[in-house]
Amino acid sequence: MNRQMTRTEESTLRPEPGILQDWLGRYRRFFLIGLPLAFLIIWTMVPILWAFLASLKNPLEIYESSTFFPRSPSLAAYQTVLAIDGFGKWIFNSVLVTAVATIVPLILSILAAYGFARYLFAFRHVLLLLYLIPRIIPRVSLIVPLNDLMTDLGLINTYWVLYLTYIASAVPLSTWILVGFFRAVPREIEESATIDGANMWNRLRHVILPIAWPGVVTAAVLCIREGWNEFAFVLALVTETGMRTLPYALYMLKDSMGVQNYAVYNAFTILTVLPLLIVYLLLERRVVESIVSGAVK
Amino acid sequence: MPSLTKTSNNSTTARERIADLALATVPYLMVIPGLIFVVGVLGYAVFGGFVLSVHATDMFLNKTFVGLQNYISVFNDPRFQASLLRTIVFVVLSITLGIVMSMVFALTLYHVGFARRFFRGMSLVPYFVSGIAAAVMFRFVFTTSGGFVNYVLQQIGLPTAAWLGDPYLAFMVAVLANCWFMVPFATLILLGGLQTVDRDIYDAATIDGASGIQMFFQITIPMIKPMLGVSLIWVSYISFSTFDIIFALTAGGPQRATEVVSMYMYRIAFLQLDFGQGAVLMVVLLSFNTVMSLFYLYYFVLADRRLEKEASP
Repeated sequence: MNRQMTRTEESTLRPEPGILQDWLGRYRRFFLIGLPLAFLIIWTMVPILWAFLASLKNPLEIYESSTFFPRSPSLAAYQTVLAIDGFGKWIFNSVLVTAVATIVPLILSILAAYGFARYLFAFRHVLLLLYLIPRIIPRVSLIVPLNDLMTDLGLINTYWVLYLTYIASAVPLSTWILVGFFRAVPREIEESATIDGANMWNRLRHVILPIAWPGVVTAAVLCIREGWNEFAFVLALVTETGMRTLPYALYMLKDSMGVQNYAVYNAFTILTVLPLLIVYLLLERRVVESIVSGAVK
Repeated sequence: MPSLTKTSNNSTTARERIADLALATVPYLMVIPGLIFVVGVLGYAVFGGFVLSVHATDMFLNKTFVGLQNYISVFNDPRFQASLLRTIVFVVLSITLGIVMSMVFALTLYHVGFARRFFRGMSLVPYFVSGIAAAVMFRFVFTTSGGFVNYVLQQIGLPTAAWLGDPYLAFMVAVLANCWFMVPFATLILLGGLQTVDRDIYDAATIDGASGIQMFFQITIPMIKPMLGVSLIWVSYISFSTFDIIFALTAGGPQRATEVVSMYMYRIAFLQLDFGQGAVLMVVLLSFNTVMSLFYLYYFVLADRRLEKEASP
């Protein structure tokens, strides 16, 4: 900010500034930061805000497209969504699958990350590479062979197929995040704990995890995000209505509603997005800090 | 921790040797369980995909070995060639627009003087919206009657358009929706890069009479090259494997204008039930992604690190 100010001062000190230059100099900050900031806010918020406002309008008002704010806000669309047959089951599916796809990968990756961060062992680079490679495999590309494999195993339309695929794709991500956080814990602290007689479990529980807690929180939030928003796997591996998760149910809503009731459609969208956004807003500081510091890649 | 890495050469008794051996297996016991899932599911899927791609499948999933026949028919299919070309255009447009936007947003967030935490937190919100929800929201922003864009155009007296009905416009809307979804993460990565640059360098450059634009291209960009590489990997990974967004936004239409390779793959495998050819498309997606990631990794991250090593032996 200081830099910005000195530059502005300098430009006003230049000899014989033209009127335009003078004007640009004075409003420079506004143009260079204010306008992009306004664009950032509009760009980020409009799709969500527009969906939210539409969910409060009545269908005819949306179709006429003459108002920005709803004329008479009503929650009728949300009542309709909550009354949809199977909506409770879809929420249950999403919560269950996301919970499993967060807790299991976290346990597995805390162990693995501790192993990678603290032990020197043969083939550790190869093993670490095996954890890294899946990060560049597009998940959607795997749906064809996965469908083939899971059909052979008879797992289509079971929770197991979702657990397996979700866990497998969450483990590399969280391991990769946690290795960085665990390595950043000073070895001296751990060594003094060893001298005090702490074994590996105790060091991990009482030394490493408390210090690297922001990393664990970040990994957890990103696992929740992956599980909650996953679509390609559930599309390819689940066909029964009762086994759908929320993103799949949202996608199928388009086909199941004969009349284009945009208010209900938008209310459904908001309800699928809201739980994850609440989780994010509660833990926002740690997640943003982890990404900005380069710990999430 | 030397005690953990001790080898067994100074052990004397058999019992000590066994204890050392047990200690040596500890790291493997920690690392292997996660790997079972990764290799067992993802690794097996990749392997299975390659095997599937050289087999013909019928409706009952009976497989017969056909060699490279699937590859030949896929590569000769004009519909595949069109979808590959479309994907490349989509990726190039998305990367260009996405990186420019991320850079502008990152610079904005870096310089903004108030409510910094709020703006940062807000800028990441789209990252947590699922691809399907993002597509539905974008559909509703651009829909002909009831859409936000047409509402604004109407209010200021401009003609409205059928954004999602026109092949070119729909393609652009798909690029925009894709950018909305992927830019936030890249923005924060770049912001992290900007924060690592020492401000004294800018001050020195200002004294030397460097302009803002000169400083950006000659100081900022080279200094944040690794972060630029990471965000490029992210942005092209998302664009190349884009599926959810196009699936729910246009489903490949209108007139196949947005049928990218992943959409085409879904159609071949799950609607035409030709798993062999679908697996060929998996191989295509996988190869493109791997080559691109390795290129970025080499060009931006590793090359930089090697330079550092050479500079400080």
